[in-house]
Amino acid sequence: MNKATLRGVLALAFVALLGGCSGKASYQPAQQSGDAPPLPAARNFLVPPMQVPRYAGWKPGQTPTVAPGLKIEKIASGLKHPRQLYTLPNGDVLVVESNGPGAEPVTTPKQLIANKIKNLSGKGAKGGNRITLLRHNGNAAGEWEKHVFVEHLHSPFGVQLIGDTLYVANTDAIVKFPYVTGETRITTPAVEFTDLPATINHHWTKALAASPDGSKLYVGVGSNSNITENGLEQEYRRAVVLEVEVASAGSRIYASGIRNPTGLQFEPHTGKLWAIANERDEIGADLVPDYLTSVQPGGFYGWPYSYFGQHVDRRVMPQRPDLVAKAIKPDYALGSHVAALGLLFSDSNALPAKYHNGAFVSEHGSWDRSPLSGYAVVHVAFVEGKPVGTPEPVVAGFHSDDESQLYGAPVGLAQDKDGALLIADDVGDAVWRVTAAPPGTP
Amino acid sequence: MNTASHRSVLANAIFGLLNPLPFGFFAAALIFDILYARTAVVMWNKGAAWLIVFGLLLAVIPRFVNLAQVWITSRRLARPADRLDFWLNLLAIVAAIFNAFVHSRDAYAVVPTGVWLSVCTVILLSAGHVVMAVQPSAAKEFSHE
Repeated sequence: MNKATLRGVLALAFVALLGGCSGKASYQPAQQSGDAPPLPAARNFLVPPMQVPRYAGWKPGQTPTVAPGLKIEKIASGLKHPRQLYTLPNGDVLVVESNGPGAEPVTTPKQLIANKIKNLSGKGAKGGNRITLLRHNGNAAGEWEKHVFVEHLHSPFGVQLIGDTLYVANTDAIVKFPYVTGETRITTPAVEFTDLPATINHHWTKALAASPDGSKLYVGVGSNSNITENGLEQEYRRAVVLEVEVASAGSRIYASGIRNPTGLQFEPHTGKLWAIANERDEIGADLVPDYLTSVQPGGFYGWPYSYFGQHVDRRVMPQRPDLVAKAIKPDYALGSHVAALGLLFSDSNALPAKYHNGAFVSEHGSWDRSPLSGYAVVHVAFVEGKPVGTPEPVVAGFHSDDESQLYGAPVGLAQDKDGALLIADDVGDAVWRVTAAPPGTP
Repeated sequence: MNTASHRSVLANAIFGLLNPLPFGFFAAALIFDILYARTAVVMWNKGAAWLIVFGLLLAVIPRFVNLAQVWITSRRLARPADRLDFWLNLLAIVAAIFNAFVHSRDAYAVVPTGVWLSVCTVILLSAGHVVMAVQPSAAKEFSHE
């Protein structure tokens, strides 16, 4: 082979390599929201689109930005990776400080590199494995009182009080504690209530919601892979919502095919269970939108075989046309790679009326997309128990305008006893509180 | 000239020791790729991904030794077979680099591209070995330079 030919081959190879690397998004997240998001054709990449802002944290006095008519304040700082919030009946707020157990073995060369890149954002920081209780001290402004409430947990995420029993979903089991109203520390040792799927824990969060009558717990269990690359046998009781009977601790698969159900809540008007879910990566910057959906008992929502109904994912072998045919299309797309990680239904609150009757969704933000998506708390309006319109940004400004630096990232949501929206920020290690701005302020 | 011949003996030793390894790794990767394509058992896929990466890492030193010998230190002694072997190896490495990226895809997205790239890598390296094997005199002179 002569040199000219070789140069030609190398040039072609280089162009092909670059072509494989590109893949900028062509949709805004809002354009891919709603019940019928446009879905481009799936692509395979040599290097999937990756853009990760570097960790910077919040400067003193710096806050996320809020939509007009709103006000934001920091009520807690210096936490250890706060992921989830839960308001107790007396107004105390529990902050679950947690991150993945870090037990997923490195079984591919790709993991070595991808994990390093993803962790540049600060999202991989070590969690506190504890719950901190925040108490609002009378009318005092500023940060709330902080009490270490429960320690020595194992990558906890969901937390739920039923009667006087506090259920905490560790990554490997639901444990329970007796709770006495007003106490600021639980010293009673945890009692295991029921175990949860815990091999690999590629997706480690176990979201928790109680049925309105308190007889059942619903557990969101994420898949053990992006798209079955760890083997189908690792997906037993994965990518499902489990229903656990509180009386017996017996459980069954309530719904399946939901790749990573990270937030579960009951819609207050219809009493139906809803979930937010993170969809699959690495087939394009605009695939696949994360979603908000009602969860039908026995329903199958596609993962891994298909997405948004019958869009087949050919990365899964063997294929299952029988299951693809059964796959339910999720109710409402939130945008691709936004990483929905917090869900809160709110009928009425201390925000302006347009934020009543709907769901707040916190979007932890993308890594598999350029430009970035998510990194915001949005509001999805509901009419007669169904989501309508496009997601309305409520809180943003978690990254710098040039997308190079990351100050914080929103995760768990809760409403405090005064109706304010609380947001856990696991990169900024803070808890934020959003209310209506006093009249007369810009 | 004593130091020069000394250096080339060392280079020949390193080359002789390391050069066979990438070929073995890439051939094993091809076998794993075919097994994965046929069975969809992910162990084979992950194994192939590691074999390709290690094959590439192990190829770095012998390829640079070969580059230097064919084009610099022994330029006048290098036969057409040596040059052809160099280019075949270079193309094989390029194919293997692409293949490492293809093998970073999840699950069955590696098939069929990954299998074909493994086939290309192994055929190119095999051709290089055959070219050198049927030119024994060139190889001999080369190592006794």
